[in-house]
Amino acid sequence: MTISNDSEFKAALSALAPAQQRMVAARFAENVLSASPDPRVSSALQAAKRADITEAELAAAVHAARSASVASYTSCSKEADRQHQASHFVAKAALNSVMPAAHGANRAWEAALNARMARAIASGVASDNSEAQQQYRILSEFLQHRGQP
Amino acid sequence: MSASFERGYNLLKEMIDAPIASYLSSCVRCGMCASACLFFTETNDPKYTPIHKIEPLRKVWRREYTLTGKLASWLGLAKPLSDEDLADWQELLYDSCTLCGRCTMVCPVGNDIAYMVRKSREGMAIAGHAPAGVVAATKRTIEIGSPMGVRLPAVKVQISHVEQETGLEVPLDQEGAEYMVLLSSMEIINFPEYLSALARIFHQAGKSWTICSEAFEATNSGIQIGVGDLAREIVMRVVEGAEKLKVKTVISPECGHAFTALRWDGPNLIGRPYTFKVQHILEVLDELRLAGKLKTEGFEAGRLTYHDPCQIARRGGVVEQPRNLLKMVAQDFVEMSDAGTMNWCCGGGGGVSANPDAEAIRLLAFKRKKAQLDELGPVTLVTACANCRIILEEGLEHYQMDVPVVGLTETIAAHLVESPHFSPPLPNPLPHTRRPDGLGTRVGEGTNALSPLGRELERGLAGEGEKP
Amino acid sequence: MSDMALLIWARGNGFQLALGIFLLGMVLRAFEIFSLGRKPDLSAARENSPGSGWRTVWSRSIPHASTWQRTPATIVLGYVFHLGFFITLVLFIPHIQIAHSILGISWPGLPTPLVDATALISIVALLGVIVHRLRDPVRRFLSGFEDYFTAVLTLLPLLTGYLAFHHQLLPYTLMLAVHILSVELLLVFMPFTKLAHFATLFVARWYNGDLAAHKGVAS
Repeated sequence: MTISNDSEFKAALSALAPAQQRMVAARFAENVLSASPDPRVSSALQAAKRADITEAELAAAVHAARSASVASYTSCSKEADRQHQASHFVAKAALNSVMPAAHGANRAWEAALNARMARAIASGVASDNSEAQQQYRILSEFLQHRGQP
Repeated sequence: MSASFERGYNLLKEMIDAPIASYLSSCVRCGMCASACLFFTETNDPKYTPIHKIEPLRKVWRREYTLTGKLASWLGLAKPLSDEDLADWQELLYDSCTLCGRCTMVCPVGNDIAYMVRKSREGMAIAGHAPAGVVAATKRTIEIGSPMGVRLPAVKVQISHVEQETGLEVPLDQEGAEYMVLLSSMEIINFPEYLSALARIFHQAGKSWTICSEAFEATNSGIQIGVGDLAREIVMRVVEGAEKLKVKTVISPECGHAFTALRWDGPNLIGRPYTFKVQHILEVLDELRLAGKLKTEGFEAGRLTYHDPCQIARRGGVVEQPRNLLKMVAQDFVEMSDAGTMNWCCGGGGGVSANPDAEAIRLLAFKRKKAQLDELGPVTLVTACANCRIILEEGLEHYQMDVPVVGLTETIAAHLVESPHFSPPLPNPLPHTRRPDGLGTRVGEGTNALSPLGRELERGLAGEGEKP
Repeated sequence: MSDMALLIWARGNGFQLALGIFLLGMVLRAFEIFSLGRKPDLSAARENSPGSGWRTVWSRSIPHASTWQRTPATIVLGYVFHLGFFITLVLFIPHIQIAHSILGISWPGLPTPLVDATALISIVALLGVIVHRLRDPVRRFLSGFEDYFTAVLTLLPLLTGYLAFHHQLLPYTLMLAVHILSVELLLVFMPFTKLAHFATLFVARWYNGDLAAHKGVAS
């Protein structure tokens, strides 16, 4: 299945079961992991990618991602640092992947958006669409292989 | 006496007006202001008593503006204010005061202590006794346009993200738009969901809006540090932008101090009233709600409560609107103790969060908010100030509390009925006349037959403000 | 000087002198405040504001619930003292008679035994205020010479009046003279110390309420 635009992308994500959304969302976040030096983010994502994650492990992942997200806010009137700001959106993407989204929104879509934001901030280019293309590829591959262990 | 101390002393003297003189004449040292201040209540350290924070100002008043004070200093009975005093008072005026104004509400003789702290900061800053972090933020605002160093390219990254996410255009420099939206650097850096929410809300409501590329920043750290000249320059950018684009209303974002700076201080800084309205986003949203332009569906799961940002509620008068809005999307809304104009500060406003020296005391002071939340049990915390939001999250994280924090505008937007041509049911049949003019006409122009509500509805029906 | 001579001086020249200083001092204090002026507020005022300067003038007399919880001693002692002082000063028939002889106006008073009890309660409350000021960390931290001096200045008329009424401590004529002299001492210092708050607090409350009302808040 080829995905070439956001409508197809969103539709394909909505069709996934929550656990699947979690795993693909984690992959989106992982794709921008280089923008976050926080080990809590990578540990949360490692857990989130696994199909056999337990409730307790999931709770721990939520805790780790949230701590990383809060720690990477830029405080009011502090000088903004692009790398620091980008790392916040990686953490947010990670948090999206392990937490159910609000009001029936699609957590994988939220994670994808935050990952794209992280990439755009890190590169400093507003119209950098490369991350979206990579996410379409990640989703296609995920859909292809999800039947397999 | 160094040159900068002398300037600081003289500025303190200049700051003293009739209200301040009446306050300082009336203080009986009852200490009740301490019980209203979270920096005292959570530390029990008397030095955080609000009236004590303005002791330098009081010394100047006594010496310069009272007969007894003049006599006392002439007789050598009263020590004059010194540079060391100002250095000692930096901690009290900047680290342990957010200008929240709760003390102002409880003083039995009516003293506006927050006002006096604000005025004291003017003298402190000129004398070189303001915290480095806030000084740097003000410098960045003057030189770059934002206290956090956010330039237009960074704003464009966010705009592009929002356009991608929502499929809607974010208008830039659109002349004649009804609303000019300001963003605080906090929203630009940390909360792009605020702009997404606005795009969707204005689209549904059929309202024309724009961001101004030369004046997108709402934060005025000149106010926080207490340098009137710089604060004025920062406000002028917004004024010039709004007048150039001929907008009707400038919207102050979900940031408390930005609202105070723009809405209340601004005209006094520039020396003239504005030619446009200034509203907080909550006021705008509530007006849209009243006009039937906000159609929502569904309710938030679980209990919701609301933290009143001090500058918006107690010092800004926007109290009922957030509650009206929340009740559209919450079935289980519960108030914390002292909700409304007497709510407790998050502890981070007024420059405190930009001040690393203040981190320890700020986290201690957060125990007051923690206590309010502990009383409620499991709850989601909604607020409408980006700085409060981060301070709250940091505090909750520090005390290991599991309380989600969300912004109000994004919560409303999350429940919007996403219909591109939504029209609210009309209360009475109205004549449907075609407007001859286009976007952004001023109040008073156009059809006179309709009531203001009718004109609003009519504009929405005519599809103005929507994408062509 | 004999007791009677002292009393005559206290009731005559002494009183005129003290009253003159008091009035001049209050005029000076008013000038010191109002001459500084207040810049007009150019920001648009909120319409239909729930607050106003005048509202806060009276509403600020009602403590907020959260301060009741946190500073009950300060509130109770302060209120009992102030109310008692007011009743003793204004509703005691001999005081009303003095006012009538000076100003030509008169008003009903309370039964003397009631005022007597009130005066005693006020004395106890004021002593309580002083003790509270000495013992409570915040009060003690804030207080200086002026706070204790003015407390004693305020206590003296109450105490000496009570003693005079009950013909205690000193021969009546002398006790009464001392009482009147203590009132005169209080009058002389009122405009120049924090005791001026008896008048300036209305101004402060008004400014407070006015600014809050401008922003749409009742303070």
